[in-house]
Amino acid sequence: MFSELFLPVLMVIFMLVVGGYAVAVLDRLVASALGVPQAGGIWLAPMARGAWLLTQHANATEAPDWRAWRLAPALYLALAAGGLAVVPWSASLVATDLVTSVVLWGSVEALATVVIFLHGWSANSLLALIGGYRYVALGLSYILISMFVLIGVALPAESLQFTQVVASQEGLWNVIRQPLGLPLFLIVGLGMTFWGPLNLADSTDLAGGTASEISGPPRLVWDMARAAMLVAFSGVAATAFLGGWLGPWLPGPLWISLKMLAVLSVLLLLGRLLPRLAPERCVTLMWVVLLPLSFIDLVWAGIGALL
Amino acid sequence: MESMNHGLGVDIAFLLLATLAVVTGWRVFRTDSMVRASFFLLVSFIAVGVIMILLAAEYLGVAMFFMMAVEMTVMALFMVMFMMNPAGLNPMNMVHQERIAIGAGVAGFLILGAMALLATFPDQPVPAGLEPVRSLGNEMLGESMLIFESAGLVLLTTMIGVVVLSSHRGRYGAAAEGSMPPGLEPGGDPAGKPEEDEAGEGGHHHHHHHH
Repeated sequence: MFSELFLPVLMVIFMLVVGGYAVAVLDRLVASALGVPQAGGIWLAPMARGAWLLTQHANATEAPDWRAWRLAPALYLALAAGGLAVVPWSASLVATDLVTSVVLWGSVEALATVVIFLHGWSANSLLALIGGYRYVALGLSYILISMFVLIGVALPAESLQFTQVVASQEGLWNVIRQPLGLPLFLIVGLGMTFWGPLNLADSTDLAGGTASEISGPPRLVWDMARAAMLVAFSGVAATAFLGGWLGPWLPGPLWISLKMLAVLSVLLLLGRLLPRLAPERCVTLMWVVLLPLSFIDLVWAGIGALL
Repeated sequence: MESMNHGLGVDIAFLLLATLAVVTGWRVFRTDSMVRASFFLLVSFIAVGVIMILLAAEYLGVAMFFMMAVEMTVMALFMVMFMMNPAGLNPMNMVHQERIAIGAGVAGFLILGAMALLATFPDQPVPAGLEPVRSLGNEMLGESMLIFESAGLVLLTTMIGVVVLSSHRGRYGAAAEGSMPPGLEPGGDPAGKPEEDEAGEGGHHHHHHHH
């Protein structure tokens, strides 16, 4: 009973909390390594900000959709939890070893579009609404690219299960077998967590976009949810392309943690280094360049699976 | 999921999900905004999807999540665009043709209820070695390949056609060129059309740019 019901829940909650904190610390480490001055200590500053947000007043707008507005950050956190639940830590240690876990991750990406749109829409405020619409326009292309790339990793595994996808990488990791896959998937990750160059939903040109009107505890949940989604994404990326728990000497859970940290560091570094794209250019880039590249990746994977 | 002896947890989950599906389905018609109605419908579909996973249809259940998520988002946005209800936050009645709808609803409830009570359902436990994803794939790309592929091709053609028709840079020049907004009153001047700069309009300080 314990290992069936409570262990998976505990695992996911642990990852939500520790992962979110790790993202905040890593981002500050990356920033200070790049010479951006950081206020306060790197290890304590995220906690101080969280505690400060908890004590702040939650802002109200004129006639918002209260339920959707308050639920959206929690739902985004719940989606991140759903993503973390399908990441296998070893051949046997998986919170949910669903036979369609790759498709479940695809639905997390699709439902994230709904939640981000609701977050922007329900505030009943102009800039938040524009942020929400922007994400819908872009999110569709992220979902498509992600879908083709993930079908690519499902082909050699002949399965839609992440544990099988890892097992199929015993000889050769997908990052080498399908060289286009991981770069494309990292772009999807920056997009669906609207981080760094692809932060178009909550960007500064919209004074914070969908998050422009929230403060206090809802703000804390929203920030935590974005960090947790980044962690869930890096877990899926490490599983799909970097061989998951596979590796010599160290135990499986340690290997995937290291790989997740590596993916997170790359994403956070990209987030700090690259400038934000203009939304119109971003749509063109997605549909004209990256989507055809994901077709090529899929054809490559298909030929590889046939040979 | 191996045989019929499922736990109590599955029964409780089924009852809760079925209630959620019905209640949110009812809320679709009682709410006053198209965006809310779409997403209530999405919650209803997700509850049905989880019930399908309980019934060992693991691919169809999960497919329901992502298909309905994208579908309902697109539906909500298109309804907002076409119904001239800025952003969908303005209150608006979600029902029309109420008498026919009530009649159809009552008839549908009676027929489905009678079927649930009177029909004899087959009692076929799921075989132990069933692979739901593989068998579904064999069905769709085996016997039903022709139907499946022709439907896919028609949908793809439709999508490309819609993109071409609605593209801003269309085949015959910019989409907005030559179009005229409707008047605020019947037969009136086009709304929001820039005024022509004519001599004799003294005291008019607006300068419109003509290209």
